[in-house]
Amino acid sequence: MVARPTLRRLRWPTLAFLILVIVLAWPRDDAARQRDEARRLIASGVLRIGIDASYPPFASWQDGQLVGFDVDLGLALAEALGVEARFVPLSFDGLYDALKTVQVDVLISALVYNPARTAEVAYTRPYYDNGLLLVSRAERPLDAMAAIVGLRLAYQYGSDADTEARKWARRIADFDIMPYELPTHALDALCLSQADAALVEATTYFLHARQSKKLGRTCPAHAIYVTHNPYVVATRLDQPALRNALDSLIESFQRTGRIDTLRAKWL
Amino acid sequence: MLQASLIVRFIMKSRLRSALLWITWGLRLALLVWLLSSLVPPRARAILGEPQQVSTTKPKLCLHTRLIDEVYDWKIQRSLEMIRQMGASTIVEFFPWAYFEPSAGQFNWQRADFIMRHAENQGLRVLARMGFVPEWARPASTGQISTFNSLPRQSYAAFGRFAAQFAVRYHHLLAGIILWNEPNLDYEWGYRPVSPAEYAELLAVAAPLIRQAAPSVSILGGALAPTREPPGSPHGMDDLIYLEQMLEAGAAQHMDMLAVHTYGFTAPADEPPSPDRLNFRRVELLHAILQRSAPLPIAITESGWNDHPRWTKAVSPSLRIQYTLDSLRLGESWDWLRYHCLWVFRFPTPYYAYPDHFAMATTLFQPLPIYYALRDYAQGQPMSVVRWLPAPR
Repeated sequence: MVARPTLRRLRWPTLAFLILVIVLAWPRDDAARQRDEARRLIASGVLRIGIDASYPPFASWQDGQLVGFDVDLGLALAEALGVEARFVPLSFDGLYDALKTVQVDVLISALVYNPARTAEVAYTRPYYDNGLLLVSRAERPLDAMAAIVGLRLAYQYGSDADTEARKWARRIADFDIMPYELPTHALDALCLSQADAALVEATTYFLHARQSKKLGRTCPAHAIYVTHNPYVVATRLDQPALRNALDSLIESFQRTGRIDTLRAKWL
Repeated sequence: MLQASLIVRFIMKSRLRSALLWITWGLRLALLVWLLSSLVPPRARAILGEPQQVSTTKPKLCLHTRLIDEVYDWKIQRSLEMIRQMGASTIVEFFPWAYFEPSAGQFNWQRADFIMRHAENQGLRVLARMGFVPEWARPASTGQISTFNSLPRQSYAAFGRFAAQFAVRYHHLLAGIILWNEPNLDYEWGYRPVSPAEYAELLAVAAPLIRQAAPSVSILGGALAPTREPPGSPHGMDDLIYLEQMLEAGAAQHMDMLAVHTYGFTAPADEPPSPDRLNFRRVELLHAILQRSAPLPIAITESGWNDHPRWTKAVSPSLRIQYTLDSLRLGESWDWLRYHCLWVFRFPTPYYAYPDHFAMATTLFQPLPIYYALRDYAQGQPMSVVRWLPAPR
């Protein structure tokens, strides 16, 4: 009974106007706003992606087609932005210069976050970690490097894994080192029970597991990251909207499992 | 009353005294903290030891180094020491113009002095690669963003004057000066259309300035990237075509040697050369083209194989060793080859990507198998030890 006169005073057009104002002023999803900004930035409707196509499974030529994890990620990001992806094949040495001179808008090329370059480029959050994995047999899983005491560790001679193994050899009581020519040899040694663990980069492990499965070999393994080597997308510093849009897209791809699907396709 | 007033005064005085004491001690403590925080451990010094000599049976063997961006002096010294111990007597090092002449006519040779002093101490000679344009010598903005490789024609003379100053300063240690790097690639030519005639012009402007200032210093031109870019490609020009055209433009008279980059990629060292193949013996095709214009010698200033497990242009570590040694033996038999330089001894920081697998030692100075193989080769000894286990079966 009390509210009725107040409502009567408010006319319907006024109410409609208020509702419209509220709807328009309502804070929109940040990611959507960033996507719109990024789309406006890419006025041509084309996202030019610098890529080094000599590095499978991230990017390589197959029957005249550019394929790989980075290629699929670039396509997915461009699609989500509502623009077309155009890949610009470059040599590794020319990647950053091409970005700097505006010949490409982004670099998606198995690039590792490089703090020394942050004065000239902006990176997104990592979309993949190619750090070193400590791989052990499933029936005797190791959850830390320190657990290698008294066991046999296989790795590639002269690789980052070798450097890491030497570091651990100085830290903890002795373990047997088994240097091989190739990282796949280290994994083979583990599968054949000639080693108790192998230290290899993540990509090597995923590809080896895939290959073993294809060949019908069983090698149930347990793997944990020992170091991290994040792959990121690079943009120019003067395009924060694009960087933020890509960053939030990668975040949503990770949340929804899309990145895992892409990884599973190639690794 | 009087007593009470005295007591109050006493209390006030003692409070003041106590406050002053606190302030004094506070200041002392602050001073101590400041002193302690300003204490930093001294940087490891690289003191020149006894002058060394390179002991080698392979005088052409040379390594490309990456010393100029090395932060720590001792790492420069350690690199040069390991190169001498390996038995290489020459290095190629990049001396970026922008580092040494940040303002026109204002030189700061400190870093170059350090590298040269330590190279000399280890008995090494230096092929100095020149490039990297300072801001003041780059083109005025024309819409296109310039890079460190943007050298406008009006700056050719300034570049030549810098190279001449460098030659005068270090002439006794130089095996030569390499004018520019891979001018047949667009990004190495500042994203201008690559032009053999313009490069020949750069040599024609810079070389006389160097020759006049330091006549004993050899001038190397070319240093072309091995590439089969098709005609009209915006990315670069086929090195064979580029060489022909730069020689037609008169480049030979401004060089004492041709610098060549020749990589093996996945092919063995002895794979026959062919214009449609990129392999080690492509250097023979470049040599044949050069001989038609001028009987100049050649210095291979970049070469080698990569042993990354997944790069499409890499081979296994054992093949890398075999192909590299085979290429060096081939090089020994060529009387027109003065230097055979391998890319690269070591990087100051890792790329965490396939370029790391061109190195002979890790960033932490761990020698890789190729290092030991090259050491044995340079000492004229058979390869000593296989450093890895046989593949598991």
